[in-house]
Amino acid sequence: MNRFARILRNRWLIYLLLCSPIIFVFNPYILCDTEFRADPAKYLLEYVGLASTYIFAIVISLTPLRRIFPKSTIVNSLAFHRRPLGVSVFAYALLHFLIYYFYTGSWSEFVNDWEKLFILSGILAFMFLLLMAITSNNRMVRKLGSRNWKRLHRLAYIVLFLIIYHQATQEKTGFRETALIFTPVLALQCWRIILAGKASLDKRNASANQPKLD
Amino acid sequence: MHILSYANVKLGVRNLGWDNDPRLALLFSSPQPTTAMNIRNSKPWNLPESTATPEDDYLNRRKFLKAAGLSSGALIGGSIARAATGGFPSTKNENFLLESLEPTEFDLIAGYNNFYEFSYDKGEVQKLANQGWKTEPWTIEIAGHVDNPMKIDVNELIKKVGGIEQRVYRFRCVEAWSMVIPWDGFKLSALIDLVQPNSKAKFLKFTTFYDPESAPGQKGGSIDWPYEEGLTIEEARNELTLLATGIYGKPIPNQNGAPIRLVVPWKYGFKSIKSIVKIEFTSKQPMNTWQALQSREYGFYANVNPEVDHPRWSQSTERIIGSGFFSKRRDTLMFNGYEEQVAHMYKDLDLRRFY
Repeated sequence: MNRFARILRNRWLIYLLLCSPIIFVFNPYILCDTEFRADPAKYLLEYVGLASTYIFAIVISLTPLRRIFPKSTIVNSLAFHRRPLGVSVFAYALLHFLIYYFYTGSWSEFVNDWEKLFILSGILAFMFLLLMAITSNNRMVRKLGSRNWKRLHRLAYIVLFLIIYHQATQEKTGFRETALIFTPVLALQCWRIILAGKASLDKRNASANQPKLD
Repeated sequence: MHILSYANVKLGVRNLGWDNDPRLALLFSSPQPTTAMNIRNSKPWNLPESTATPEDDYLNRRKFLKAAGLSSGALIGGSIARAATGGFPSTKNENFLLESLEPTEFDLIAGYNNFYEFSYDKGEVQKLANQGWKTEPWTIEIAGHVDNPMKIDVNELIKKVGGIEQRVYRFRCVEAWSMVIPWDGFKLSALIDLVQPNSKAKFLKFTTFYDPESAPGQKGGSIDWPYEEGLTIEEARNELTLLATGIYGKPIPNQNGAPIRLVVPWKYGFKSIKSIVKIEFTSKQPMNTWQALQSREYGFYANVNPEVDHPRWSQSTERIIGSGFFSKRRDTLMFNGYEEQVAHMYKDLDLRRFY
């Protein structure tokens, strides 16, 4: 396992993995697929949207995973790549946004739908991802100071709920796909909150016990 | 999209040695530019009898494709050999030709299907609907407030109503995409005349087959199977309302609703219920499946209406299936372009409320 963790540290491997959805889509099997040929804009729209969602689900789970399994080398290796992972969430969201323009076919149609909650949730999530992406380089971290930077990047949790809404309303019957992706994500977040609560309780107990020892 | 259809040809369909099959050549070539002069000749379904492929060839081709490991997406009309309703000559109805519109490629009509009985995935339906689901023989039951209730084999029914005809209709899905489909079928009104509804009959309730063993989608999900739809009797009697048994002059493929389905071209596609086993004449308005599922999004009438949006998207325009990535949308027409034939039925109805 240690060896696997070491392989995961490789930056180029992660870059390749993050680009693989784009590389994969341009193969004859998909290009000749009836569903693709019928409505390529819709196919690609959903494809890159889902790629963005999956990577987001992974990156948002890294912090809780690190809290829960602090000694796991695999989790630590993945967490090492948080920045490229996060930026690629934005990159796929950007593609999703651009393809949406071609999907609607014209600027007026494009703007027309923004008032719908389904579309608005996606656009807001995209804006927040944009904010986080442009502040993701070292220079911006220094400029903002680590506390402000951290505060800004908590936007990710708002994005989490926006994406869940966006993904769930997109499904025509039930919420199967959304539940499959986000139940584990939310479970990890809950676990992390419980751990944090327990830690602060322990701390308080420890300090309450201290005078007695004196 | 032309580049992609060439890619399809390059991938193997041509290379497998069927260059001399004119049907294939027509299906895979890019659409001819239509001018006023040659509209008739450029229609892909407008083929002389001599070009039709014998059914044996279809079977051999399927075996060959399977052996070559190609996906079912490449199978054209894979279900044809098994569907009922074959063998009826279809005469073109000149009143419903839609000269100005290019009909959608057959393999897109047959490969891009909403048929949740099999899969939520439009690209998967073709394969799943042709894995042992039997659509022949097929009996349809007509019941309710009629003088002549009957249980009848579909082929017998076609004979009784006097055969089938071909009509080209626009098809508009509630998901804001559209096709142009050359259906073969007969008017629902012919069936209504046959069974003689009485004065209590105000609505028609249609029911799809229920067979979870053949249709894996019916094993679960949030839909209360079997799928049901309804029309008012006036809508059912409208000259446009069709019971379709074929597409492009061939028996309707399983995934498109074999062997018999409803076609109501001025309503969103989900009203055009597939693979009907029962038609019941009722006095009360039936509850249709999508309304039962999401009444805020889908109603009983479901008339195509560019002015009433779906809560999640606009209905004012539509994407044309097969037109490619960069194509613009087409404006959606009131009642999907059939205002003249159907608007009179709704003149006292608030279409915003009764969507």
